[in-house]
Amino acid sequence: MMVLVTGASGGLGRAMAVECARRGYDLLLTDIADAPLLRIKQGIERQFGVTVEAKACDLTNDQELAAFFKYIDGEQIHLDMLLNIAGIDYEGGFLSQPSANITRIVQVNIEATLKVTHAALERRRKERFTIVIVSSLASQYPIPLKATYAASKRFLLDFSIALAQELKHENVNVLALCPGGLPTTPEALLGIAAQGIWGDLTTNDLGEVARKTITAALKGKRVYIPGCVNGILRILGRTVPNTLVAKLLYKRWKDAQGRWEAIGAGRIR
Amino acid sequence: MKTVVITGATSGIGLAAAKALAASGARVIGVGRTKETCEKAKADLMTAVPNADIIYVQGDLSSQTDVNAAADQIQSFLPLDGCLNALINNAGGVRSGYTTTADGYELQFALNHLAGFLLTYRLWENLKKAKGRVIFTGSNSHKKTRMHWSDVMYSKHYSCLMAYKQSKLCNMLLAKEINRRFEDSGVKAYVVDPGLVNTSIGNKQTGGIVSAFWSVRRKHGDLPEYTAQTYVYLCNQMPAPYWLYYHACKPANYDKRVDNEQDAQRLFELSEQLCGIRFDGGDVK
Repeated sequence: MMVLVTGASGGLGRAMAVECARRGYDLLLTDIADAPLLRIKQGIERQFGVTVEAKACDLTNDQELAAFFKYIDGEQIHLDMLLNIAGIDYEGGFLSQPSANITRIVQVNIEATLKVTHAALERRRKERFTIVIVSSLASQYPIPLKATYAASKRFLLDFSIALAQELKHENVNVLALCPGGLPTTPEALLGIAAQGIWGDLTTNDLGEVARKTITAALKGKRVYIPGCVNGILRILGRTVPNTLVAKLLYKRWKDAQGRWEAIGAGRIR
Repeated sequence: MKTVVITGATSGIGLAAAKALAASGARVIGVGRTKETCEKAKADLMTAVPNADIIYVQGDLSSQTDVNAAADQIQSFLPLDGCLNALINNAGGVRSGYTTTADGYELQFALNHLAGFLLTYRLWENLKKAKGRVIFTGSNSHKKTRMHWSDVMYSKHYSCLMAYKQSKLCNMLLAKEINRRFEDSGVKAYVVDPGLVNTSIGNKQTGGIVSAFWSVRRKHGDLPEYTAQTYVYLCNQMPAPYWLYYHACKPANYDKRVDNEQDAQRLFELSEQLCGIRFDGGDVK
């Protein structure tokens, strides 16, 4: 098994890479910076003794992306699985962000995912290929103050489900992962703490999410929403009108952002 | 003058021990995770002990890159003869959920155990020169648990408490194994049982239930200043105290599993592999 992981030195990417290595899969890791990638490569090799290749690539830069896939071709790597983990968000409402930040969310979350998925499919092993696309619980409703992020994740969810149908007869499965908050970084932990009880209820255990995601993807499942509270929220999101959901969520995120600022990033630990 | 290194020296037990050791006349090199907390702790310490000889080194010890960088900095602050009298591996933490470090290791295992292992290795020659002491902050929670060898990082079924208990058992096994392997080195390893101490350990990056539980429980704990005396005792007492595990400056009972030599050796070798080092200087991959 050879698995390509994007966003591999971030919290979820690391956990997914570790989970794959635990299963004995070989890995090809990428992320934007070299140094963190080499550390995770080394840590995984020491723990599990699998083969780990690591190569930095800015997925929004077409030249780097081309060089990255040229490297894959040069090494004659055939892919069995693609984990599209790379994704970003910027905290703050639409008008409080420079426009470049807003479009960067679309570039990383949507454009890069499409480009990588397309290029990886061309280099897939024909017997069987598995794709995981990281959407989010945020894909389930319009979220004021996270408008672009939530919409980008909605795009990924719909795209993922449609692509899965399209490629069904090509022995390709596509799974959309829709996690709630994940305790990946000190900032993420702070963000979860700022949401109070909602943060606790919608937060998923990172190791469990990683394990069940790979299992579900290999079983041919199309959508995986970890946690039962999140599942209920999804159903509610479908039965309640969008405009009302937006109204409710606006209040929730506004409160959370207020608390986030009050707690302050300097007091994480 | 003695030189003492204390990790996690910006709050709680570490800060109290830093104060007590500085007051006893030692040069203290503290390690803290962020610049801000280091500066705040230094100011706090200078108020409590105005003539303290204190230096802070910043580093996130959950990451091995930072442990190595901290070790380099510490060595630059040692006296010219390179003597280090005591290394107090005190930094530790609790995480309610499974999280991986930059090296892809489970955080409690990496921070509570591996960081101290690697730092001890990096400062080993300096400790040997001074016939120094390595002190780990342990806990009575090392009792009634065992090494989870099939998955030491608890990546499959994470339990905050089990991972914490195991990391504290690791402290005991490691101290014991250091004493066994390096009996002739003159270096002695100890573990302190701080007892229940009123610090913020359970409130840092845990959130929700774990944090709320700890907020109630910590109120029943001792003051860190009381616990700090055990560290002063283990650093300064002559001749070197004979026992492994100390509480309130007195030998304390530990779990019989700590005497399992096989486990201790296995942990030592695994830790060498996960840190990419060999204490005997042999080659590593």
